[in-house]
Amino acid sequence: MAPGLCVQLVDRTGCRALAGARHDDTHNNQKHTMTRTFSPRSPRSPALAAALLAGTFLAGAAHADATLDKIRQRGKIVVGVMLSGSAFGSIDPATQKPVGFNADLAQDLAKQLNVELETVQVQPSNRVQFLQQGKVDVLIASMEYTPERGEQLGYVPTPYYRVGGAVIVPKQSDIKRWEDLKGKTVCISQGSSYTRPVQVEYGAIPKGFKGSSESLLALRGDNCAGAVHDNTLLQPLVRGNPEWQNYRIVLPELNPAPTVIWTRKGEQDTIQAVERVVQGWHRSGWLIGTEKKNGILPPSPSLTELHDKFKGGRG
Amino acid sequence: MDAAIAALIAGARHLGLNYAFLADAYDRGAFVHGAWVTLELVLCTLAGSLAAGVALAAALTSRHALVAGATRAFVEVTRNTPTLVQLYCAFLVLNMLITHALQDAQRSNPLTPFLWVVVVLSLHKGVFHAEALRAGIEAVPKVTLEAAASLGFDRRTLLWRVQLPLALRFALPALVNNSVELVKATAVASAIAVGDITYASIMIWTQRDNVLELMVLLLLFFGVLTWVVSRAGNWLELRLRMPGYGNR
Repeated sequence: MAPGLCVQLVDRTGCRALAGARHDDTHNNQKHTMTRTFSPRSPRSPALAAALLAGTFLAGAAHADATLDKIRQRGKIVVGVMLSGSAFGSIDPATQKPVGFNADLAQDLAKQLNVELETVQVQPSNRVQFLQQGKVDVLIASMEYTPERGEQLGYVPTPYYRVGGAVIVPKQSDIKRWEDLKGKTVCISQGSSYTRPVQVEYGAIPKGFKGSSESLLALRGDNCAGAVHDNTLLQPLVRGNPEWQNYRIVLPELNPAPTVIWTRKGEQDTIQAVERVVQGWHRSGWLIGTEKKNGILPPSPSLTELHDKFKGGRG
Repeated sequence: MDAAIAALIAGARHLGLNYAFLADAYDRGAFVHGAWVTLELVLCTLAGSLAAGVALAAALTSRHALVAGATRAFVEVTRNTPTLVQLYCAFLVLNMLITHALQDAQRSNPLTPFLWVVVVLSLHKGVFHAEALRAGIEAVPKVTLEAAASLGFDRRTLLWRVQLPLALRFALPALVNNSVELVKATAVASAIAVGDITYASIMIWTQRDNVLELMVLLLLFFGVLTWVVSRAGNWLELRLRMPGYGNR
C-alpha cells in the first residue's frame, strides 16, 4: 500500500485539505491518506526525512505488473469514479451506492470483462495519484484527454464522451463572452484542465477550490465573477435548479476535449481490453441510452458521431 | 539566475525529479508568491492567536460565571471541530450570508479569504493557547500570591507583576508547541484558494503532475519554518528561565 503523500507535511486538518476528505466518511480508501499524521516538534532528523522520501519513491515503482492479469486473478476491477453530485456521478442517498453516468460505465465495464466491480471515489485533485499509486486500476472520472496527461498516463484511445468548459455567471453580470473574463477572478476546481486556458487565452485569474461544489458555493458568495466548469455540470443547474435561477451560462464550450478512460502508462493489455468494450458501447448505441437514462441534457452530439462511426464497422 | 535554475533543473533530472516548472516564469512566480503568503499568514495568525489566547484565558478565569461559562462553551466547540470545517462554515456560509446582506444594502463585502483564514486559525489556536495560559495561571502557587499580597500589592499589580509573568513561563512550552502546530495548520488556506504555498503547489502539480517534487519542496519549506519557530521558542524559554525552576 502506498503511503499517503501528505505524510509529515501538515497536521491532521491540513492533511485533510490535501487529500480531499470531503467525503472521507463514504470511502475508506481516503482514510489511508489521512491516518499517517506525524508532527515532530523540531524536525531535525535528515535520516527520517530521507526514509520518508525513499518510501514515496518505492511506492511509485511498486507496480510493474500487468494490471489486466491482476484484474483477472482477483476477479475484480477497481475503478476510480468521480461522484461530484451531477448526473455523471453522485451517491444515491438511499443506498449509499454510486449512481450516474460514470458509475453505469464502470458497472458495464466490469460486466463485460466478467469480473466484479469495486468503485473508489476520486477527485480532480487526487485522481492521478490514485491511479499511479495503484489504488485504482482505471479511471472513469470525467477526465479529458490532453497531450500532457497523455505523456504521463495510458489511455483508451476511443473516447466515451466529449465535454468542454462553460462559465456560469450571475444574470446581471456584464460577462457575455469568454473575452469579457479578462482581469476578473473565476472560481474553478483544483486540477481542472480549464485553469490554463482561462488564464493564458482570456487573461482571467483562476481561484482553485477543492472541488466544484466549493467553487460554486464561492461563486454564490460573490467571491468571483464567474465559475468555470464542465458544461455538462453547469447545464442541469440553470435548467432545473431553482437556487440557480438568477444565473446564466456563457458559451461556446471552451476547449471541447474527448473524455477517455485512463490507465497507468504502458499497460497495453488493459488498454486493449477496455478499448474493445468502449467500441462496443458506441456500436450498440448503449452510451446514448445511458446518457438519456441519466437525464443528461442537452444530449452530446459526440455520442451520435461516434455511434455513426462505429456502427458500420467490425462486429 | 536563469542559468543557475537551468543547471538545477538538469541536476534534478538526473535524480529522476522533474523541476521543469522552475523555468516557467509564471509557475515560479506563483510558487514564490505562495511562500510569501504563507509567511504572512504565519505572522498574522501567530500574533492573532496569541491575542485571542490572552483574551480567552482572561475570560476563562473571570470571576463572572456568565463570562466564564460562555467562554468555556466557545472553547469546547472550537477545539472539538476540525479547522477545515470551521473554515468552510466561516468562508462558504457565513461570508456568503454577509455578502448577501450587504448586497441588499448596495454595499460590497470587504472581507477577503485571507482575512477569514487569519480569523478562523487565530480563534482555533487561540483556544489552545488559552487553555495553556489557564494552566499556567492556575499553576502559580497560592503561597506566592499570598506572599505578594502581604507585601501590599494591589490586585492589578499582583496580576501584572506576579501572576502573569509566572503563568507565561509555565505555559511557554505549550504555547511554542501550539505555534508549531499553527504554522502547519496554515495549509488549510489552500482549500479556499488563498494562494499560500500549498495552494500554489496544488495548482502547479495538477497541471504538471509533479506531485513528489513539489511535496519535497513543501516538506523542506514547512520544515524550516517550524524549525525556526521552535528555535525561537527555545530561545525564549532560556531567556525567561527562572533560577530554581527546570534544570537548564
